Formats: sequence, structure tokens, C-alpha cells
Amino acid sequence: MEPGVLIQILVWGLYAGCIYILLAIGLNLIFGVMKVVNFAHGELLMLGAYATFWIYTLSGVNPYLIIALAMIILGIIGVFIERLCFRPIKGTGKLNEIFLSLGLIYLFQNLAALLWTTDSRSIHSPYSNVSVSVGSVRLPLDYIIIILFTIVFLIAFQLFMKRTTIGRAMRATSQNRDAAALMGINVERMDMLSFALGSALAAAAGSLWLISGQIVDPYMGSIPAIKAFAVVIIGGLGSIPGAIVAGLTLGIAENVVPLFMQSFAGLLGVSMSFTAWKDTIAFFILIIVLVIRPTGIFGEKGE
Amino acid sequence: MKLVRMNMNMNMNMKTWTGIISLILAFLIPLIFGINQYLLTVLIIMLVFIIYSSAWNLLALSGQASLGHAAFFGIGGYVSAIVANTLGMPPIAAIPVGGLFAAFIGVLIGLTCIRMREWFLAMVTFGFAIIAHTITTELSWLTGGWDGIPAKRLIPVTITNYIMYEYYVILLIAVAVVVIIYLIAKSRVGLALQAIRENELEAKVMGINVIKYKLMAFAVSAFFTGIAGALEIHHFGYITPEVYGMDISFWPILYSISGGLFTVSGPILGTIVITFIWEVLRAFGLMYERFILIGVILVLIVIFLPKGLVSVPEKIKSRLQL
Repeated sequence: MEPGVLIQILVWGLYAGCIYILLAIGLNLIFGVMKVVNFAHGELLMLGAYATFWIYTLSGVNPYLIIALAMIILGIIGVFIERLCFRPIKGTGKLNEIFLSLGLIYLFQNLAALLWTTDSRSIHSPYSNVSVSVGSVRLPLDYIIIILFTIVFLIAFQLFMKRTTIGRAMRATSQNRDAAALMGINVERMDMLSFALGSALAAAAGSLWLISGQIVDPYMGSIPAIKAFAVVIIGGLGSIPGAIVAGLTLGIAENVVPLFMQSFAGLLGVSMSFTAWKDTIAFFILIIVLVIRPTGIFGEKGE
Repeated sequence: MKLVRMNMNMNMNMKTWTGIISLILAFLIPLIFGINQYLLTVLIIMLVFIIYSSAWNLLALSGQASLGHAAFFGIGGYVSAIVANTLGMPPIAAIPVGGLFAAFIGVLIGLTCIRMREWFLAMVTFGFAIIAHTITTELSWLTGGWDGIPAKRLIPVTITNYIMYEYYVILLIAVAVVVIIYLIAKSRVGLALQAIRENELEAKVMGINVIKYKLMAFAVSAFFTGIAGALEIHHFGYITPEVYGMDISFWPILYSISGGLFTVSGPILGTIVITFIWEVLRAFGLMYERFILIGVILVLIVIFLPKGLVSVPEKIKSRLQL
């Protein structure tokens, strides 16, 4: 394989990994604080992408500037989901959370289909024709901006969690809910905030997905979401560095493994394409990890 | 446990009578309404999904809520269609083959899931449906890829009133499946599955072979799901990878929850009621609104009626007593 092609694939992997990381960190935060898994997280990504698409087509502003607005909108939606759906069923069992999420998936997917039809949508970022030369390879500027954006998000998120009072209160709640409540932290408000923040991060992921030139449709959310779950499980529930490492690994593996398999099959004299398997790689990793460690790699906390 | 038993006995009479009356009605429908193609098609699909939801619910009885049952639905359908096409078997003989193959895959998937708890099991089963979809589209020489393959009709279309015969055949199969699932749920196996769901460790301590029963639940559930899938595609006359769709995995969950999780009558009642709502909404020409409404119904039921529609009479009764 040519080194240039490999670099290109690595950058694609990094870019895909960034989307997974943003989703996974939101899931991690919600799980940490509320001990709830929202299976409809991918639908928040989809709504975030549509919010950006919609505002961009109406206003024509640089789409990178719209991300903040999309995050605020989804943050508000997140608050409603927490208050109206997840809070009433708190403590009634994990199966109920799963079933409730399914209802939300139906609701959001078809709401989006109703509002924006099921046509695939895409936008052109103002930098879509610009690319940067690194040695012999040309990388799209948008991918590089997205990787930088993700780094900025991650640093801001980390600072928020470590340095601000609210961030500390959230971490305290996720460590020990009862103790945090006794210390005067309003844990229900922390639930709400974690959901808002998680949804906003999903919106950021969705917006970046759209801006990078990918197509958006109402049913796009479930695959990235399930991959984000894989990232959360592989990286460890509640671990942010784990999510980053696992997200990047998955993003790169998805792009590299089909290519390696293709060249391997080529060596055996078979010409086969494995690109159709791209979306299943996350599941194979997930299944292998869970067969070895049924509670996930750092699962003790979760159970 | 004892309390549950007593409650069951009390409702037994009423429930048996409702069951018998609805069964008689089901047999009379073609006689009352005539051979109505639309009505019978709706009812056939409803019966298929009664089988499917009951099978899903049996697995849920053991505490394993699968989000990827479309894998078994699709595998049963494809195997049955391929077997019927290549070996020239009549569909009615090929359908059990599809079910058996689905059960075999079910045991394999069950083995990987045996130690997983709710969330992880949900994700992994969801993943298996996507893997099954990918394998099917990749094996295009066998499965026709994205275009799918034709499947023989259960009853040849050339026979007059074939749809009526098809309805009766599927009705008989559905009744048989529901009776079998009822017997399983009420037997020691069913009790063992419930014990595992309530507390796996305690069940193990009580001497229940958890792995054996969990795998058994997976196998039986996958078998009947495969049968349902095969029946559906032999009714439609073709099969495409769409049978692995996410909504195919979600329907039995919706039906079981709205009817009543972990009960035998729940999935049946849920399928009938939701199908009715669905068809009424279709008559109004609604498309996405139907799905939105279904989503809202699911959310509301999980929050306000977690035991499903079968618990409504009890709820009313306790209200009246107050």
C-alpha cells in the first residue's frame, strides 16, 4: 500500500473518530450522572445536523458559526427529554429505558421525515474546494478544521468539568449520587444539565458531520450512535481518555481494516471489496470485547 | 409468586373465555366479511406478527430484550425461500427449515450474549441484525443481493380464494405457536426463565442451569421468529434485505410492551390493538404521523402503563374498589 494512501486513510479515520468521540463523551456524561443509557442518542445527532442544515439554508451564514446555535437548540431538547421522559421512569429498570428510547427513536426519526422529508440533504462548506498538501497527499481543509474543532471542544469540556463549580458538582454526582445530594448538590438539576450537555455534544457531532460534506437523512443517527456505544464500552464507562483512544482507534480501524482485508484477499488471488463491512467492524470489536469482559472493559462501575 | 398465581386463577375464567370467543371470531371473519383481499392481508400480517411478538416476548421473559430480532426474522425467511426455490420443496415444508436454521443461529448468538446484561445485550443483538444484513447483501449469488429473490407463495395464487386458505393456514400455525409458548411459559422452564430474569444469581443458587435455560429461550424464540419471517415472505412472494430493517426489530417490542410484557396474552392483544390503530391512521392517509404517534404511544405506555394493556382491567378494578 502506498504511504500517501495510508496517510489519507488515517486522516479519514481521525475525522470519523472525532464524530464518535463527541457522541461517546455525551453518552458517557449522561451515563455517569444519571446511570441511564439513551439509545436515541443518534437521533440527537441527526436533529443537530438538521438544525444546522435548516439555519444554514435560511441564513447562508458560515456553517461553522451555526454549530453553537444548533448545540443550544439541542441542549434545550435534551432538557425536555430528561424532564418528560427519563425522569418519570427513573429506577424502574434498565429494560424500560431501552424501550423508552425506542419510542423516542420512532418519534424523532419521523418528526424529521415530516419536517424535512426523507430526501438526503447536504451542504457545501465554504472551504469544500480547499485542500492542504502534506507531502504528496492533499487533505480536505474541512477535515482538518473538524479535527481541530473536536480538540477545542474536548479541552473546553475538560476545563468545564474540572474547573467550574457546576462541572465539579456533576462529577460529584456521578461518583456518589447520595453523598452529593447530602452535600447540597441539586442532583436532579445535574441530571438535566448532563442531558443538555450530552445532547449539545451530539448536535456538534451532527453539525460537523453535515459540514464535512456527508449526507444527512432522518435515519442516519442509529449507526453512529451504536458505534459511539461501542466506543464507550471499549473505552470504559465514564472514562473520557478511554473514549478518546477508543474513538480514534475505531475510526481508523474502520477505514484501514477493509483495505487490509482487500489486499490480503488480493494476495490470495481473490479480488474482493470489503467496504460493505465498514459498519460492522465496530460490532465485531464490541462483541469480542463483551465476550471476554461481559461488563465492558471498565465495567464494574456500570453494574 | 403465590400472589401472582392466585391472581392468575381469578382471571383465568375470564381470560379463557375471551380467548375462545376471539378465536371463534377469527375463524368466522372470512365468512362474515367475505373474501376481502385487503382485510385478509392485514389479518395475515397481524397473525405473523402475533407469532413474532410472542416469540420475542418469550426471550424477554428470561430478561434478555433483543433489539435485533429482525436477524432471525430475515434468516428464517431467506433460508426458507432459498430451500423452497432450489430443492423445489413446497413452502409449508421449507418454513420449518428456515425456523430451524434461525434457531441454530439463535443458539450461536445466545452463546455470545450469555453473560451480558441488559444494555450490552441490546447493543450486541442490534449489531447482529446489521451483520446479518451485510452478510446477506454480500452473498448476492445466493440471496440476490439488494434486489432480493422471489419466494413461492404459501398457497398458489392460481387457486381461487387462495387468500382465504392462506389466512386459515397461518391462523392455525399462529394458534399452535401461541399454545406452545403458553405451555412453555407455564411450565417449569417458564418459571426458571422468570427466576433468571428476577435475579440471575439467586436462580443459579437455587440450582437452575442458567446457561441451559437462556440458550433454550434463545433457540425457541429464534425458531418461532424464523417461522414468522418465512410465513411473511411466502405470503408476499419475494424477499429483500429490507426484512433486516430496524423497524422489523422494533415492531415486536412495541407490540409486546403495549400489550403487556412477560405475559402470553400481551403480545397478542398489543399486536391486534396497534395494528387496528395503524390501519385506521392509514385510512386517514397519514404516513410519518403514524410513526410519530406510535413513538408517542410507546413512550406514554412505558411511563404510565408499564404492564401494558392487559393490566387495564385490574387497574380499573382497583380504582373502583377505592
